[in-house]
Amino acid sequence: MYDRKAIRRRRAGLVVFLVLSIAILTAYFGESGGGFFHNLQRGAQEAFAPVETGASRALKPVRDLFGWVGDTVDAKDKNAALEREVDELRSELARTRTAQRDAAQLKGLVGLQKEEGFPQGTEPVTARVIARAPNVWYSSIKIDKGSSDGVELDQPVIAAASSDAGAATGGLAGKITKVTGGTSEVTLVTDASIGVGAQVMPAGAAGVVRPEVGDPRDLLLDLVHGGRVTDNAIVVTSGFKTSVGESLFPRGIPIGRVTDVDLDEVEIYQRVHLRPFADLRRIDIVQVLTRRGAQTQTAEVVEP
Amino acid sequence: MRLTPGAFVRVALLLLIAVVLQLSTLSQMPVLGGHFDIVVLVVAAVAYYAGSLSGCAVGFAAGFLLDLLSGATMGASSLVLTAVGYGVGRFRELRDPSHGLLPLAVGALATGAWVLAFAAVSFMLDVGATVSPLVLREMLVTVLLNTLLALPVFWGCRVLLRPVLAVDPLEVSARRRPPRETGPLGLRGLEV
Repeated sequence: MYDRKAIRRRRAGLVVFLVLSIAILTAYFGESGGGFFHNLQRGAQEAFAPVETGASRALKPVRDLFGWVGDTVDAKDKNAALEREVDELRSELARTRTAQRDAAQLKGLVGLQKEEGFPQGTEPVTARVIARAPNVWYSSIKIDKGSSDGVELDQPVIAAASSDAGAATGGLAGKITKVTGGTSEVTLVTDASIGVGAQVMPAGAAGVVRPEVGDPRDLLLDLVHGGRVTDNAIVVTSGFKTSVGESLFPRGIPIGRVTDVDLDEVEIYQRVHLRPFADLRRIDIVQVLTRRGAQTQTAEVVEP
Repeated sequence: MRLTPGAFVRVALLLLIAVVLQLSTLSQMPVLGGHFDIVVLVVAAVAYYAGSLSGCAVGFAAGFLLDLLSGATMGASSLVLTAVGYGVGRFRELRDPSHGLLPLAVGALATGAWVLAFAAVSFMLDVGATVSPLVLREMLVTVLLNTLLALPVFWGCRVLLRPVLAVDPLEVSARRRPPRETGPLGLRGLEV
């Protein structure tokens, strides 16, 4: 059934070629650089060099086309990698800028507390703004500290300065109007419902700071009495107890700087514009002045 | 394969074209770290159509030519391609397969055996350098690329070698095709 001769021939062929290969391999390794197989190799390469060169030139368009496809794929990969890198760097930059801004605000808040006249006996609780009223009024914000952190209703809130306020530190931002265990709502001084008892320093004229709704960079000092107000004067919380009621804010918290004074025709009524020290447009970090009460400085005056 | 001068010329021409094409073009077209390897496909195709003895002879010649022109260690490629050619030829002789897509599997297996065996031989010859695990990826990619290239290469080899083959592969396929079935004569179109 089996053709023994064919089997033998086939096996012999395999053995011959394998042995030949191993013999060539051994001889190639055993000989020096000038040996037979090395010389044969060199000669063959020289002889075939024109053929290979011709083939290489003739097929260059094919290689180029293939290379173009490969380069395009590589470029896409590189593009994707670079886009990922840009995204990472962008988010890193955003983190750095945020940290920078937070640091500037914290620095402003610390500086504010060190200022002469700042109310003593308060314990500031630093909080981060977690929500903001979704309108142009900038009237309220939500912070991540609540009653469990010692925050109570009506406590004053301060914020760092805006770059164009003319102060390096900051000033009054608002007051606590709602408190939960872990969060609080701060109604800003720009909210229409707020009036802050204030005093102009060093002239001593007093009044009530009210917002000019819609412009967070402008506050009005209304009901001014006790003297003429001049430009660039500093307005601070008065802490007065009056017949109307006790001021919610301790005495001495900076509010803003007078930018303009409107006088009526008989120069009796003064309408004072001031720019708040606190940057009410972009608040990220605030401090709640807790432990308000016995330790705070308040001045009792009798309303004329 | 009938051992005629025409057969030698055809096979020599085939090998020469394959080796030159490999060295001058295909080796310079990297795809995901791997590249097409037409030499092993040609050896596998010749072995597939001409048998184990022709397969190992063509494998030896192809390896010799490849080492000669590429400047690689002489004998290494011959050794591996001889074994690959013999293996493919024996597979054909023992199984006598006829499926039209078989070259895909044969090409993939032959390429896999070639890259693995050549790596083993290289290790045994002491490559003298640390080997990156990426070599495995290159091997895999080469096998996949050769699988894609197998059908046209086998077809080309069959066309070139058909006049000198002892058994025409197309006749084998035709012989194995099931007979055409016909209906009863004279009843078509006679709906009653």
